[in-house]
This record gives sequence, structure tokens and C-alpha cells, in this order.
Amino acid sequence: MRVNPYPMPDLLAALNHTELEAQQAGLQISTGRSVNVPSDDPTAAAQLVENNDQASVNRGYLADLTAINGQLSAASSTLNSVQSALQQAISLGVEAGNGTLSDSDRASIVSELQGIQSQILSLANTSYQGNYLFSGTATSTAPYAVSGTDPSGVSYAGNDGVNQVSVGAGYQVAVNQPGSQLFSASGNSVFLALNELIVAVQSNTGVETALPALDSAANYLSVQAVFYGNALSQVQSQTTYQNAAKLQIEQQQNSLGAVDMATAANTLSQAQTDTQAALEAISKFSGNSLFDYLR
Amino acid sequence: MSGLFGTLSIALTGLAVSQQQLATSSNNVANASTPGYSRETAVTEAGAPIVIGNLVTGTGVVLDKIESLRDPILEIQLTQTTQQQSGLNAELEQLQQLQTNFSSDSSGIGADISNFFNSLQQLSPDPSNLALRQSVLTAAANLAQDFNTAASDLTTQQANLNLTVQQSVSQINSLTAQLAGVNQQIATLENIHVDASTLVDQQTNLIRQLSGLIDVQVIPTEKGGIEVTTSNGTALVSGIQSFALSTQTKQGGNLDVFANAADITSTISGGSLAGTLEVRDQQIPNILSQLDQLAAGFSNAINTANAQGLDLNDVKGTNIFSTPPAGVTGAAANMRAIMTDPTLLAASSDGAAGSNGNLTNLLGVATQKVANGQTPIGAYSNLVFQVGSAASNTSAEVDAANQILQQLQDQRNSVSGVSLDEEAANIIQYQTAYQAAARVVSTIDAMLADAVNLGIDTAVQ
Repeated sequence: MRVNPYPMPDLLAALNHTELEAQQAGLQISTGRSVNVPSDDPTAAAQLVENNDQASVNRGYLADLTAINGQLSAASSTLNSVQSALQQAISLGVEAGNGTLSDSDRASIVSELQGIQSQILSLANTSYQGNYLFSGTATSTAPYAVSGTDPSGVSYAGNDGVNQVSVGAGYQVAVNQPGSQLFSASGNSVFLALNELIVAVQSNTGVETALPALDSAANYLSVQAVFYGNALSQVQSQTTYQNAAKLQIEQQQNSLGAVDMATAANTLSQAQTDTQAALEAISKFSGNSLFDYLR
Repeated sequence: MSGLFGTLSIALTGLAVSQQQLATSSNNVANASTPGYSRETAVTEAGAPIVIGNLVTGTGVVLDKIESLRDPILEIQLTQTTQQQSGLNAELEQLQQLQTNFSSDSSGIGADISNFFNSLQQLSPDPSNLALRQSVLTAAANLAQDFNTAASDLTTQQANLNLTVQQSVSQINSLTAQLAGVNQQIATLENIHVDASTLVDQQTNLIRQLSGLIDVQVIPTEKGGIEVTTSNGTALVSGIQSFALSTQTKQGGNLDVFANAADITSTISGGSLAGTLEVRDQQIPNILSQLDQLAAGFSNAINTANAQGLDLNDVKGTNIFSTPPAGVTGAAANMRAIMTDPTLLAASSDGAAGSNGNLTNLLGVATQKVANGQTPIGAYSNLVFQVGSAASNTSAEVDAANQILQQLQDQRNSVSGVSLDEEAANIIQYQTAYQAAARVVSTIDAMLADAVNLGIDTAVQ
């Protein structure tokens, strides 16, 4: 069969091919990514879209966990202070129950008790980053105001709402307890009990019923406050979980879209060698013909 | 005497034919780099003999014809492969451009869908926070902008393709006119029984160029004439007459290809025009339609979810995104984030400012089937896959077609290509033959001098 007298197009096509390979390997190394456009690997490109979204959701969970950790910690330490104050009030009540006090002694106890009452009111109205912690979902309204008419001495202006925050797939945590459940629950109101103790000490009658009532209300508060300890521990374990999930998501992203540098460097070096070889082959193609040898 | 003069004329035929053979070789060498040139050979045969009694005397050599060497089957295969390769190549270019809209992980529709839901997530622990609410509205605006940009880029690409269609049709018309002209010249030569070899090369070259633009079928007719039609039968050239194609703007703004009054746009199946039309009329509208469905489904779902809650003013939630058009078409191009007041985001489920109860509904859209039975990210990821595999598959097809084309070209060259070595060898041969014939003439000249000077003692000058 007669030989194709034009070998150059084939040689050039081969050269073009190796140069293209070198370019692609170079691009992968400089971007660190094996998928730079969807056609590089359509399946991986599609999976990377999902993976990116998972990473975003995970970041959202971690951000929320940090935020509610702050809220729950603030509420928890406030309630610790309230409980200390209540214990102090109870000690004072015990003292007042001792029948040997003088009027002025009783008066000074009343004064201390009123101080504690103010303190607890102020603690119940604690706000964290601009939101009241114990108003339920009415976070822009202070939960408790002084009331001249209410026997507890305060009126509750919040609501019963509880917010849930999602911290995992299908996993929500409640992040607050309304004041109406903590401080002024019907039959277990620390405000009412404290106010009645003050009245009892002032009038020097009924301390023996007011004191146990306060003790009982304080206990009730402690039990309700456990909510915050539980919630904080849930937040902690979920944070650990989401941090582990974050690593998994990153690993998956790497296996999908990150280039294996060693392999890519090899490919580049190979392609460069091939290009060199093709160039040399072409340059050695002398284009001599019989004409050069006639005369 | 007649014997010597007869021999002289025989020698002269050798001289003449050698010169013509040399001219043919010289023509080949001069055209060694001419694209589409088929090498020529001078075909010789012995002259008709003279019979006198029992004696059969030759009359020298005669040039029968100057023949172009080509393989018609290969030419047909080359034409068909060219139109396939051109179509795929044109399609690939456009698909690669198309996919740049979907190539970034950190920006674009996918990333901004995630960012939108992320902003809602961050609002959840502090739902009355105005700065966080504003972030949600900003994320909504970014997402709408992405849809607008993607739709706009695609429609711009479509419009540019209309320009390409226009240019292709002009080129086709120019080529068919030239082809008709060449056919005319060939017909003239055929009539006087001359091999129209270089004109046939021109004709082949024009057909090759034409097949790069549109699918062609070549039907040979009598006397070397041809008819060129599309594979669907639309006439392009019939012998010495060419039929121009035209373009008309359809409603919707696309330029369609017409042959007289018939719209042949959907019948074009090869050449770069086919690739261009495939992208303009199938691929891009398909992607646009999916974008529209996603934009519409997403907007409706978010608006519905917002309406289930109460805003900071304890009023039922209104639309965050503009209402998509009823037929969905144009949803992506026209999507807007119309809510600008952050207090209007309906995060609350009980009317209180600090309630986040309705954010669950808004966040729930992320796992809702909003378009083609898929979640927002699912629908987008599917779109990325489609765009990527269209480009990737077409790229593989182009590579395969290129290889076949190269192989066919190599085969054609081995049949029709000029080999300089071969021509050099031929030239030596023709030169030697000429020298031999010239020597015969010299010999006869000397013998004639002897004959004329029979009996006279003279010297030959």
C-alpha cells in the first residue's frame, strides 16, 4: 500500500494531545482541585454540590450550638444566684422564727429580706444580648414588674412560650423556661412565698407557715432549673457530634474534589516528557526528499 | 526515405510525451501543499499501429489522458465524517460555555441556596435580632440575583447563536453559489471530453467545506454533474443552479432557517449549523426550563412558609420573593427579593417578638420537594450533573470523530497525496526518456545527411 506522504498532521495531533494533558495536569495542581468544571467529573460535581450544602448546614448547627450555649449558661448562672439568695432568705426566716428577737432586730431582718426580694426581681429580669431570659418568647418585654395590688408583690408580663432550636437532623432542643414556670408558678411561686414571709416577719405572726412555704417554693425552683443543666449537657454532646460530622464532611469533599498532588505531579511530569519527545520527533522529521539528492 | 521520416516522427512523439509527463509531474510538485489536490498521472499508450501487408509498425506513444487519482468512496466518507465532527465540535464549544454558569462551588445558585438557609439557621436562637433578619433578606436578594444572572447568560448565549446561524447560512449560500459555478465549468469541459481534474478537486473541496456547515448528500448525475441536497432532501445545488437558504425571525426571537417558504430548521442534522441549533433550540431551553421550575418552586415554598407565621409587628407574613409567573417560564429571569423591611420576616408562631416557631417552616423548605420532585439543592445538583455530562459526553464524541477523520484523511493522502520522492523519481525517468528520444533524433539526422549525400564525398557539419 502506498505510504501517506503527509505524516505531519498526525504528529501535530499527537503533540496537541500531550500539550493538552500537560495543561490539564497543571491546572489541577494550581487549583488543587480535580473538578474545575462539571464536565471534569459530572458525578463528583453533583455530589460536591450536596457536600457543600451539608457543610453549610453543619456550620449552622455549630453556630447555633454556640449561641444557645451562651444563652443557657447565662440563665443557669442567674438561677444559681437566685437559689443562693433564696437560701439566704430562708436562713433569715429561721432566725426570725426564733421568738426572742427585738423589734429592731426584726426590722433589720425585714430590711434584708426586702433587699433579697429586689435582688431576685432584678435577677429574674436579667437580659442576655438584648433579650430577656425569662419572659418566654416575649423577649423584648421585662418579665416582672413591681405590683402594689398583687399579693406576690410582682406581676408577670411575659408569656409561656418555649423556643426550640434545631441542632441536628430532626433534633431540636428547647432553649428557655418561662418565668411563669420558674418564679411564679401557681402554688409554687417564690415571689409570693418571699413576700408572705416578709409580711409575716413584719407582723411577727405566721412565720411558721411562711417559712416552709418558701422552702417548698425554693425546692420547686431548683427542680425546674435542672432543665438548664440538662440542656447545657445536650448542647455539649451535640457540639462534639457536629464537630465529628464536620471532619467527615471535609474528608468527603477532599475525596471528591481535591486533587491528589502526588498523582497530578506525576501526570504533569509524564505529559511534559511526552511533549518533549513529540517535539523532538517532529524536529527530526527533515522533510528531505529525493530532490535534495539530485545534483 | 519515408522509413526514416517515419522513424523521426515516432521519436518526436517520444519527445512530446516526455515533455507532457514532465509538465504533469511539475504540476504535482507545485501543488504538493495545495489542500484537496489530487495527484495527476499522465496516462500513455502506444499509438495505433499501421498495417501494410504482413508488417505491423508502431506509431510511437500517445498521451491518452491526464488522470487525477482519487477514491470516490473515501471522499464520501470524509464528507460524512466532516459533517458529524463539525456538528459535535460546534455543540461542544457551546456546552463548555454553558457550563461556566454552574462551575463554582463557593458562589452561584447552589452556594446561595445554602447561604439562605444558613442565615435562617443563625436567626433561630435570636429571632428578633434585626441585623440577623437583615442577613436573611440579603441572602434572599443574592439568590434571586444568581437566578437572574444565570437566566440572562443563557438567553444571551442563545442570542449570540442566532448571529452564528445567520453567518452560517451566509457561508452556505456563498459555497453553493461557488459550487454551481464550478459545476458549470466542469459541464463545459465534459462536453468536449476533457478530464476536468483540478475542477473536480475544487468541487470536492467546496463540498467538504459545505459539509462542515450543514449535512449534505451528493448525488452524481450524467456527464459529471452533481446534485447536492441536505440529508432530508432540501435542494442546495442542482447541476449548474444553486438554491440559497434564508433566515427569518420567529416569535420568541430565534432565527430559523428557510428554504424558500419551508422552515427546515429542525431537519438539519449535521455540520456546525446542526450543533449550533441543537444547543440553541434544545439544550439551552431545557436548562432554562429547569432553572425556571426551581426558581418558581423555591419562591412559592418560601412565600407559603412565611405566610404561616407572624412578623415582628404580630402581622401575618407576606411574600419574601416576587410571585413567579403562572406558566413558570421566565421565573428565573424575573425572580426578585421584594421584602426589604427586616421586621416583616415572619419568624414568630405566637405573635411574640422573640418566638422562632415559624422558622421551622421556613427551614423546612430545604427538605421539601419544590421542583421536579426534588429538594432545592437536589434539583440544582441534578442540573450540574446534566450540564457536566452533556459536555463530557460530547467531548468524548468529538475526540472519537477527530480520530476517524484523521484516519480517513491519512487514507486519502496515501491515495491522492503528492509524494515528492515519487515525483523526483518520475522526473528522472522522464528526463532519461527525453534524452533517449533526442539521441534517436540526432541519429536519424545523421542518417538523413548520409542519405542526402549518397555518392558525394562531404563532411557532415
